Amino acid sequence: MSSFFESSNLELGYGNQVVISNLKISLEASKNYEIIGKNGSGKTTLLMCISNNFIGNIFNSDIKRINNSLIEIGAVSSLIPKLSLIENINYFLYKQNLKQDLIDKILTKYELINFKGDLIEDFSSGMTKRSEIAIADLKNPDVLCIDEPKVYLDENGIQLLLELLKKRESDGNSSILSSQESINSLISIERTIDLND
Amino acid sequence: MIRKYIIKKETSLEFRNNTSLFLITPTMSVLIIVFPILSENRFRVDDDLFLIVELLFLILFTTLFSIRNPLDEQRLVKELNFGSIKKTDYFYSKTIAELGIFYPQIILLLILFSGFTNTSLNTSLVNICVSVLFFCINAIMINLFFQVFTSFNNRFVQFTIIVPIYIGFAILIAPLWLGVNQEISNIYLVMYLGITLVIYAFTNFYLRSTK
Repeated sequence: MSSFFESSNLELGYGNQVVISNLKISLEASKNYEIIGKNGSGKTTLLMCISNNFIGNIFNSDIKRINNSLIEIGAVSSLIPKLSLIENINYFLYKQNLKQDLIDKILTKYELINFKGDLIEDFSSGMTKRSEIAIADLKNPDVLCIDEPKVYLDENGIQLLLELLKKRESDGNSSILSSQESINSLISIERTIDLND
Repeated sequence: MIRKYIIKKETSLEFRNNTSLFLITPTMSVLIIVFPILSENRFRVDDDLFLIVELLFLILFTTLFSIRNPLDEQRLVKELNFGSIKKTDYFYSKTIAELGIFYPQIILLLILFSGFTNTSLNTSLVNICVSVLFFCINAIMINLFFQVFTSFNNRFVQFTIIVPIYIGFAILIAPLWLGVNQEISNIYLVMYLGITLVIYAFTNFYLRSTK
């Protein structure tokens, strides 16, 4: 099985401050991973590095990555606040060339259909996260990284997220979740990366 | 390389931006050009006022187009990765989108200046349009280069570094605008074309050499 992200000596930080040091990591496609750790242990930093969104110091880390489609849903939303939900969908999923019926079906599933013309800046944090999950569902990337998956979501939102994760697992796609403690939401986890150690 | 959906998104954002050039250009034109005329109770513009207004215009012209919303590097990286958009595609599409915003604004500004100060164009319209086009491309590419590839991506840097560069570009337009003979106009335009090609080559090289 090929690794989409691999490092034998991962060291990450900001400026001269080291957040993660000497971490051996190899993430394989079609498998699920979990990153756990307390506040400040570097969960978000590691997730951002895996998803290629990290802007900081990688020191002398030897990082090998394969270009595959990857989405990160993090603490800061990737959606554009001044655009409406449907404009965001059309912008981020332009290459997928999705039919309007499918978009409407997914928005209905995520209870966002009545808000598709509203600007993202008017959305609550929960609605914004739901929108990002809906886009991830539509895009169906090879790897989906979610930082603190349950944060901002209500009970129904968490249920929808769990359904998506199960669907992704059955489709053979990879998911990586990071949180303070294990959330047992995935059927099988290849490895739990514990940053408390 | 040039993606229509990025151009559409950038243009939509400009229309919804509260510091949009579509708002700022007419407002600043009235403040800088019309107000001094009215304050002196003049209906016609004579030579001494024309010189002062001309200097103000040059400063306005350069600062106006450097006051753009700075790009947040972290947000930009997230946005591009979320949409699987290549940096090169974004850079060229954004350049085209900005050109569509800058160019009509500069033409509007020149028309307003000409109208309010009762001065006519002293050179051929084609020369002015081509030189303004060069100004736009250079200004946009330098602005984007600073914002996308360097850490100097805040308003302070825009004022201290980018404005002097823009003034340099604008100075090349000034002689054409004030009226020089055709041979000198051609030399100026070829010089401007050379600068544009150098800046394009440099950004293109940088874009392709960075991952």
